[in-house]
Amino acid sequence: MKNKRMPLIELRNVSKIYTQYGTEIVALNNVSLKVLPGEFVSIVGPSGSGKSTLLHCMGLLDRPTKGKVFVEGRDTSKITGKEIATLRGKKIGFVFQNYNLIPRLTVLDNVILPGLIIGKDEAKLTSKALELLEEVGIKHRADHKGVHLSGGEQQRVAIARALINDPIVIIADEPTGALDSESSSEIMELLAKLNKDRKVTIVFVSHDLDIARYGRRNILLKDGKIIKDSKESRLEEILKEASKTSKEVWR
Amino acid sequence: MSISRSFAWGEIKEHKFIYAIIIVVIGLTMTSFILENAYLNYMMQVVNDTTKILTADAAITSPECNIRDLYGTQPTIENAREIANRIEKALPEYKTAIRVTAQATYGAGASGEAVDGCTIQGINPEEDEKVTNIKNKIVEGRFFEKDDPILRGHTPLYIEVKGPGNLPDFTYGSGQRLLKYDKPYPIIVGATAAKIHPSIIKVGNVLNIIISTSGRGTKYATVTVKIIGLYESGTPTLDAMIWFMHADSLREIKGYGEIKGNEWHIPGVGTFRGFCPIEVDRNIGDTILVKGPEPLHQLDPIGQAEQLKNALESIVPGMKIFSWHDLLVYAAGSMQDVVTIMLWGSMAVTLLLCGAAIKYVMDSIVIRKTREIGSLKAFGARDRTIFKIFLYQGLFIGSLAGILGILISVLVMNIINWYGVSVQFIAGTQLDIGFVVNWLTIVIALVLPVLLSILAASMPAKRASMLPPVEALRKGEMAL
Ligand SMILES: Nc1ncnc2c1ncn2[C@@H]1O[C@H](COP(=O)(O)OP(=O)(O)OP(=O)(O)O)[C@@H](O)[C@H]1O
Ligand SMILES: [Mg+2]
Repeated sequence: MKNKRMPLIELRNVSKIYTQYGTEIVALNNVSLKVLPGEFVSIVGPSGSGKSTLLHCMGLLDRPTKGKVFVEGRDTSKITGKEIATLRGKKIGFVFQNYNLIPRLTVLDNVILPGLIIGKDEAKLTSKALELLEEVGIKHRADHKGVHLSGGEQQRVAIARALINDPIVIIADEPTGALDSESSSEIMELLAKLNKDRKVTIVFVSHDLDIARYGRRNILLKDGKIIKDSKESRLEEILKEASKTSKEVWR
Repeated sequence: MSISRSFAWGEIKEHKFIYAIIIVVIGLTMTSFILENAYLNYMMQVVNDTTKILTADAAITSPECNIRDLYGTQPTIENAREIANRIEKALPEYKTAIRVTAQATYGAGASGEAVDGCTIQGINPEEDEKVTNIKNKIVEGRFFEKDDPILRGHTPLYIEVKGPGNLPDFTYGSGQRLLKYDKPYPIIVGATAAKIHPSIIKVGNVLNIIISTSGRGTKYATVTVKIIGLYESGTPTLDAMIWFMHADSLREIKGYGEIKGNEWHIPGVGTFRGFCPIEVDRNIGDTILVKGPEPLHQLDPIGQAEQLKNALESIVPGMKIFSWHDLLVYAAGSMQDVVTIMLWGSMAVTLLLCGAAIKYVMDSIVIRKTREIGSLKAFGARDRTIFKIFLYQGLFIGSLAGILGILISVLVMNIINWYGVSVQFIAGTQLDIGFVVNWLTIVIALVLPVLLSILAASMPAKRASMLPPVEALRKGEMAL
């Protein structure tokens, strides 16, 4: 329905400046970025380079100090906090490093939660949630409490949850940050599959270059600025650039 | 169920223990508030009814009488009739009645054991009735009748005779009968007393009672009475406390008169036992009641009472005058003001502490659940939704505490009513504890905890709702 060319999310000259103890910290410095439908974007960069801040601005969790964020062409700088919350709930799916499942809820209830928040019908949500759980391979645990699952399983549930409202983009900050390498690659395979088969647009951050490799477009961030932005072909170049920085700088 | 409500419920279940403690503490606070209030209301009613019956619109006593004496025996007014006449002349629309009172204990236990006490009011059926309308309150038996045996020749006097020469000393004790054919004094008894001791107190029964007959330097007389009627004033406590006897009978018992008959001789000469009744002086009394054409307590009580009191002060200077309002102020005001302040004070302290506890618990929930709150916001939850999660918890705590408080008080009141707990009351009378619940108390007991806990909850609720979603998620990361 949307114009293929129109970016789902666009950051135009976005800066984020924090003031702490009287000094200014420039977390994002005049960043412009377009996320197009179907993209699978990885963001890498040293610790403190502004990766999370960038995701927060893209995910409408935070407003930039300067510049504008467009969602499907709509300027979000002019809309109220109330509307932003609704827009975020409908358009953005989140996957967190620590999964953030609600411990007392079952897997199924966790998945339908974002749907309930934006006021969707519970019965419809439930059948959809079961499909999604099937897709992420965790349907058999639907009635279990989230906390009883392994990290990898919890992250699968979180991915199903992120998909429940059919968001235009999934935003994931270090989705494998708390997982062992085996579970990490399983999660990344799952995201890659969703991107490929379902054309789900995904933007994720990882400090692990092997994980970042899953992205088909790679962005290198440093000191709040985009240093490199590539399509697949240029990943190696980015990694080369990145590896110039000493190992300790990477988390 | 809305997200706010289901999350609020989730938190309640998760923190059920601490919330239960808070609820119980608030609930018990409300219970004591309701109970104390209900008891206070009951006492107010007792006092109110007591003053209505006891005093009419004003009561005049001898100067040395104090207000407490009105509930017991009082010093004698020798010229009571003259005073009453003076008042009726000066205030033609007012009626007066002369009353005689005494304190009595009556045997209601095992063989002659004196267990219960009451105030006996001597009333003049013809005139006093207009003042108090006791006649209308007879529920069983009858009121005094013209041919009732009223003066029966009992002697209340304590006579010591020094035996002359080798004759023995002898005493003639109080309450001993002079007449073989003597009949008991008719008495009207409160229905409550009849309920408490159904086998002893019933119409037609004859009872021995010990009467203390003087306000100062008490003298005792044992007299026989016959219960001719039961009355119910509408206030059970009052009915246990106040009985009615013909004023002349009481005058006789109290010795308001002269020994008649020439067969009686003063000691030194010898003994004489014979027909020796007392001629009662009907001009003597203990209290003069004054009653206006309208029941004062139904008009403007305070203003009218003060006016009447001022008028009476100029008519009967030197006498003690208690207005209906004085009695009410004495009996109720002193009691109620202090108790009410203490009641609200202690309740406020407890409630404030509970409010602080609610705030503290919820603050800690907000800190621990920062990540969860952040996630909800990321999923599109509005600030209001988050606010309501905590507000509903407060609402739940408050309303449950209020309901619990009301339920416990109802339970306690029923138990107390069932077992009939009683306390020692003024002038040695036993007073059953009773309760009069008014709706305002119930409403306060429900609304106050709700308001309090909503207020307490609103602070952490505001804090949670204002958490920026980013901070919420970041802090969560750090906490792990
Ligand atoms: N709320 C804040 N107040 C002050 N400074 C902040 C705040 N949030 C982030 N910053 C600063 O902004 C910069 C970018 O932070 P950000 O979290 O985006 O980095 P990152 O690339 O995600 O780092 P990491 O790889 O360690 O997660 C850092 O210097 C950080 O200290
Ligand atoms: Mg980060």
